[in-house]
Amino acid sequence: MYLYNLTLQQATGIVSAINGNFSGGKTQEIVVARGKILSLLRPDDLGKLQTLHSVEIFGCIRSLAQFRLTGAQKDYIVVGSDSGRIVILDYNKEKNVFDKVHQETFGKSGCRRIVPGQYLAIDPKGRAVMIGACEKQKLVYVLNRDTAARLTISSPLEAHKSQTIVYSICGVDCGFDNPIFAAIELDYSEADQDSTGVAAGEAQKHLTFYELDLGLNHVSRKWSEQVDNGANMLVTVPGGGDGPSGVLVCAENFVIYKNQGHPDIRAVIPRRADLPEERGVLIVSAATHKQKSMFFFLLQTEYGDIFKVTLEHGNDGVTELKIKYFDTIPVTASMCVLKSGFLFAASEFGNHALYQFQAIGDDPDVESSSSTLMETEEGFQPVFFQPRGLKNLVRIDQAESLMPIMDMKIANLFEEETPQIFSLCGRGPRSSLRILRPGLAISEMAVSQLPGVPSAVWTVKKNVNDAFDAYIVVSFANATLVLSIGETVEEVSDSGFLDTTPSLAVSLIGDDSLMQIHPNGIRHIREDGRINEWRTPGKRTIVKVGSNGLQVVIALSGGELIYFEVDMTGQLMEVEKHEMSGDVACLDIAPVPEGRQRSRFLAVGSYDNTIRILSLDPDDCMQVLSVQSVSSPPESLLFLEVKASVGGEDGADHPANLFLNAGLQNGVLFRTVVDMVTGQLSDSRSRFLGLRPPKLFSVKVRGRPAMLCLSSRPWLGYIHQGHFLLTPLSYETLEFAASFSSDQCAEGVVAVAGDALRVFTIERLGETFNETAIPLRYTPRRFVLHPKRKLLVIIESDQGSYTAEEREAARKECFEAADMGENGNGNINQMENGGDDEDKEDPLSDEQYGYPKAESNKWVSCIRVLDPRTAATTCLLELQDNEAAFSVCTVNFHDKEYGTLLAVGTAKGLQFWPKRSLVAGFIHIYRFLEDGRSLELLHKTQVEGVPLALCQFQGRLLAGIGSVLRLYDLGKKRLLRKCENKLFPNSIVSIQTYRDRIYVGDIQESFHFCKYRRDENQLYIFADDVVPRWLTASYHIDFDTMAGADKFGNVYFVRLPQDVSDEIEEDPTGGKIKWEQGRLNGAPNKVEEIVQFHVGDVVTSLQKASLIPGGGESVLYGTVMGSLGALLPFTSRDDVDFFSHLEMHMRQEHPPLCGRDHMAYRSAYFPVKDVIDGDLCEQFPTLPLDLQRKIADELDRTPGEILKKLEEVRNKII
Amino acid sequence: MSVFGGDSWGREAQNRKRRIDEFVLEGIDVDGSSYKKLSSGKYACLVCRHNPIFDTPLMLSIHCKGSRHSAAKSKAKEKELVRQDEINKRLALQGSPTTSSVNSSTTTKQNAQLATKPLIQMAQKAASEILGNKTLKHDSRNENLDMELRQNDIKNVTPDFFRNHSYPENETSDKLIQQHLDFRERRERELKFISAGWKRDCHGKWYKDENVEFDSDEEDPNTSF
Repeated sequence: MYLYNLTLQQATGIVSAINGNFSGGKTQEIVVARGKILSLLRPDDLGKLQTLHSVEIFGCIRSLAQFRLTGAQKDYIVVGSDSGRIVILDYNKEKNVFDKVHQETFGKSGCRRIVPGQYLAIDPKGRAVMIGACEKQKLVYVLNRDTAARLTISSPLEAHKSQTIVYSICGVDCGFDNPIFAAIELDYSEADQDSTGVAAGEAQKHLTFYELDLGLNHVSRKWSEQVDNGANMLVTVPGGGDGPSGVLVCAENFVIYKNQGHPDIRAVIPRRADLPEERGVLIVSAATHKQKSMFFFLLQTEYGDIFKVTLEHGNDGVTELKIKYFDTIPVTASMCVLKSGFLFAASEFGNHALYQFQAIGDDPDVESSSSTLMETEEGFQPVFFQPRGLKNLVRIDQAESLMPIMDMKIANLFEEETPQIFSLCGRGPRSSLRILRPGLAISEMAVSQLPGVPSAVWTVKKNVNDAFDAYIVVSFANATLVLSIGETVEEVSDSGFLDTTPSLAVSLIGDDSLMQIHPNGIRHIREDGRINEWRTPGKRTIVKVGSNGLQVVIALSGGELIYFEVDMTGQLMEVEKHEMSGDVACLDIAPVPEGRQRSRFLAVGSYDNTIRILSLDPDDCMQVLSVQSVSSPPESLLFLEVKASVGGEDGADHPANLFLNAGLQNGVLFRTVVDMVTGQLSDSRSRFLGLRPPKLFSVKVRGRPAMLCLSSRPWLGYIHQGHFLLTPLSYETLEFAASFSSDQCAEGVVAVAGDALRVFTIERLGETFNETAIPLRYTPRRFVLHPKRKLLVIIESDQGSYTAEEREAARKECFEAADMGENGNGNINQMENGGDDEDKEDPLSDEQYGYPKAESNKWVSCIRVLDPRTAATTCLLELQDNEAAFSVCTVNFHDKEYGTLLAVGTAKGLQFWPKRSLVAGFIHIYRFLEDGRSLELLHKTQVEGVPLALCQFQGRLLAGIGSVLRLYDLGKKRLLRKCENKLFPNSIVSIQTYRDRIYVGDIQESFHFCKYRRDENQLYIFADDVVPRWLTASYHIDFDTMAGADKFGNVYFVRLPQDVSDEIEEDPTGGKIKWEQGRLNGAPNKVEEIVQFHVGDVVTSLQKASLIPGGGESVLYGTVMGSLGALLPFTSRDDVDFFSHLEMHMRQEHPPLCGRDHMAYRSAYFPVKDVIDGDLCEQFPTLPLDLQRKIADELDRTPGEILKKLEEVRNKII
Repeated sequence: MSVFGGDSWGREAQNRKRRIDEFVLEGIDVDGSSYKKLSSGKYACLVCRHNPIFDTPLMLSIHCKGSRHSAAKSKAKEKELVRQDEINKRLALQGSPTTSSVNSSTTTKQNAQLATKPLIQMAQKAASEILGNKTLKHDSRNENLDMELRQNDIKNVTPDFFRNHSYPENETSDKLIQQHLDFRERRERELKFISAGWKRDCHGKWYKDENVEFDSDEEDPNTSF
């Protein structure tokens, strides 16, 4: 089996973000690392975040930093990754790519303890960079520029100290003195030597300053001092002329200002009033804002509260450190303060947000200060505050993030053309169920009913130079309706259009006149109101029309073509007639090229399954230039011109191209390239769009021409970042459409469907899926689909939270304390964490502020039955008594009266630290009531471990309880243990069954294949895996094959060899399976690994599904970082050969950006086996053209063919 | 055939050779049961234990004259005699009206085959005999197979003299099927008890497996069997 791996949706979570002027000039951009993806974002003028560029680096980005050489206008990006190399990138605005400026190797690849890459620190003046490992090694590179002002990098200077753990490093701003780097370190050499553990208890963290002597070109430890053992983060304090220099040490509960030769200035971090005493407060992310006259820091705690930290300083150093409550936003991985007054918050989990500063926290608020710090016998006096609504920030945009995908299932519950992907995302109060559908999201602006069923719609401007459309013209079976676009859209009669006849086409012709073509003639309405009418000769009627701004071709019944042109005076003149052999099926004229009088090409589709290109040049007018035969009569034709471009904001450079698109009657969209000079057709591609013949319309998307195809669902073909994408729209079937532009909606579409007129805009271009989010209460763990009722049953649980009642009581108390009284907010609904993102009426939404924290051994959990169609929760059971749900399945017990039951595995009082322990485990059995909409507890059975896996098997329930696999039957009062096998190594996390086979996944030892023998009532393990995999996801592929994913980011397939499988199945006496022994406690047979691939991201769910109607199945996976990918099995050997060669050439010619070798990356833990990396192959179009040609030559193809092949294989998946 | 050309002596020579071959083979064995012509044109001796293969009939004939072959041949003959003896004995023993009425030649054949077939078919034979005597005793393992077989047997053994009153015949057959279904049901119930955690002791009594839990009102197989 050979597979093709393709990422369908790139990771949406962010691990690190930096901001700077990466494109040069004034605009500020944000560079974010999403695990293995590096993206450049920019908030546009409206405050919407736009992704300018996104590139997969085939490595793991561990740290990011930006620096700027003195006097330069542009920032460089430094990337610390798992490549064992330091990479400096420069964003190339013209080509819209990251250019690798430097790449210096310093160690082995992989995320290792002592190989640098984990930490990066920059000298604030951009003279040096320090890259550090978690332990021992730190390297300093000196950055400079050569005579040509190019960036140079020195050889590394070592600042190693062995047996030292590093917690954080940062640069110290000391103006233009020698650069200094600060680090929080812990020396464990003594603790390592001392076996009694005394030294380990006394180990002390130190703050160490490393000085880079630029003169001597060497690094020395300059100064080291003890810091709090809770210290976890360093923040650079501006120095030189701007501030006092030094660093802020963020420690548990404190922020301390430290500098060499300066006394510590310490202030306590204010605590939330409801925080339990055992919990400390840690700073998790920081951002610095610096202006000429002032600077301040924003520090965010692990609970999401942001504090503004200011320093009072003078000539004698810092006198006071103030920490003031600023606002509360969801916990971030990184915060970026932009000069334009925005705060970009890259959330740890859930959606990222862009905030705008309303104020900078000058108003009085809870504040702690170093001067008021009081030390008592019990320690320092804490300062308390109560979180409140946003005061200084206002959210203006958010970027959706699926991180982390906890569970995912693909099913067609809505009975749509393509299945929906149901994914459980997020964590705690910000978690959600997201329903993903392949296609672009639509935002509907207006829907209005029309008096009849319209057949067509057009929009026209009054003048070429107008920005907005003036009329919407709707044609009915025997009338035409004209609507004028203004403040409102209303019917007008003075437009000059003939309204007693249906229309065939309406458009602007020439500079400022309108044209209406109806079956009996052409009506030309001049700007001054004069009307010219051209009538068809005899009784013939016009059947088809093609036009652009200056040329019109009409087809009369019988197959006569008449060609008109707009002359100098604006008159429409008949130029030429041409008799076609038969009736014309469709027509289109290519758009007029810039600076030309006319377009040269007319495309005519005939019912004899051909498309002809005719010349419109005066020299050879109506000569056939080329003929293309197609599989079915064309229904609609459209020329799409792609203007030449070299990069720019989106797109690599590509030459000007003219594409001819044809919608065929069999539902296929046929696309071919038209030679701009000769009119020859080449490079044809076709794709099945739907059951109805596609009708093609030209629209504008981001100012570029795009194509709307209306088949059984609408599709949009557009250019995005240099690729032509054809994506379905998540909208109903439309009949006819036209582009629409008004001052409310610059780039919309007006369409007719049924008897309604619809105006909508297309959003989030470039995305594969659009999502509908339904908020959940706690971190979702797993879910099942109720097979018949199409309902979802979700289990959610959170550790360290109060129960719903306790939270409610605390909330009430809090409101009373805040003197707000009960103003109707204290109802049960608000526990449902909003439901709406902008839940303004709730001053303390859990989604924003998180749940109040409780002791770590407290759990909250609930079971939810959700109807995905209405997004309504029909039943929600909160588990009582500190129980938390971990597994769920539906089960039908044989000959028992209840029908489908729900089994939920729970644990009571589960603790992970200091030792994993629990009070008890339970399996709850629920009965579905009211058509499955609600649940009733039948009984619960105590078990001795956590039931992490449940599955129905032969009318009974299989449960994995710790390391025991047990078969239960339903009893009156409890479940009855019928059979068990205790021979599993660690803990069972997944169970799948097929016939009498049971496929058990162990938490760290991969799969075990078992068999249940009914005549002996025994479970036998007959095969297992030789590789100790830490299983995170599993899926049953076929009788002998399982797919799994491990926690190191690998996906693998194992298969039982055929002979072993046969032997197991043909064991008539059953003695063999019973008495056969494996070695070393293993099973007698071993499965074989047939596929292995390093995804580079922890896969949490796997499922076999087909995302296109009638398409082949592929294995889809969802990951912790919120990405979705697919593994498509190849069906032909030729394809395998082609793609493996392409992959090989791509590896050679286009090594990954951050220096990790592609082959080594995909084989990070186990050698890659039989998987071709489609993500690498899809980078082919981003290569320079000569390189593309070179690779194509070696593959004996043209670059166009390779692109076609790539497109084809992608279209097989989605 | 024209590898030697259109009208050469070759064809004639070929024919001559074939005729000689036929003669030789006729000399070895009249009914052709002691050798086999393989698809490759070679000959295999069926009498000798290792079935030696020979290129030409001539070689085969030489082999047939050999001492080893003649020893094997006499052994085979002896075996055949014993078998025939056995068949005759059995025929004499089969006194029941059902079987005796069956066409004797087919029975002989059946018996002859059965004698050389494995145990399981002998058991089936025995079962069919017993069935013929209307005493039921089932082999528990291959019920499905048995079912069909037995029904076939029943058809086979339907005696000519039963033809004039067909009613009792139907009754027997229905009864048999019914009994058989009962048996299957019984087996299924037995399996259900086993998978529910009941075990059997050496006396066939059912007892509860101590590692398995039972409901308070669970059915006791000892009472229901």
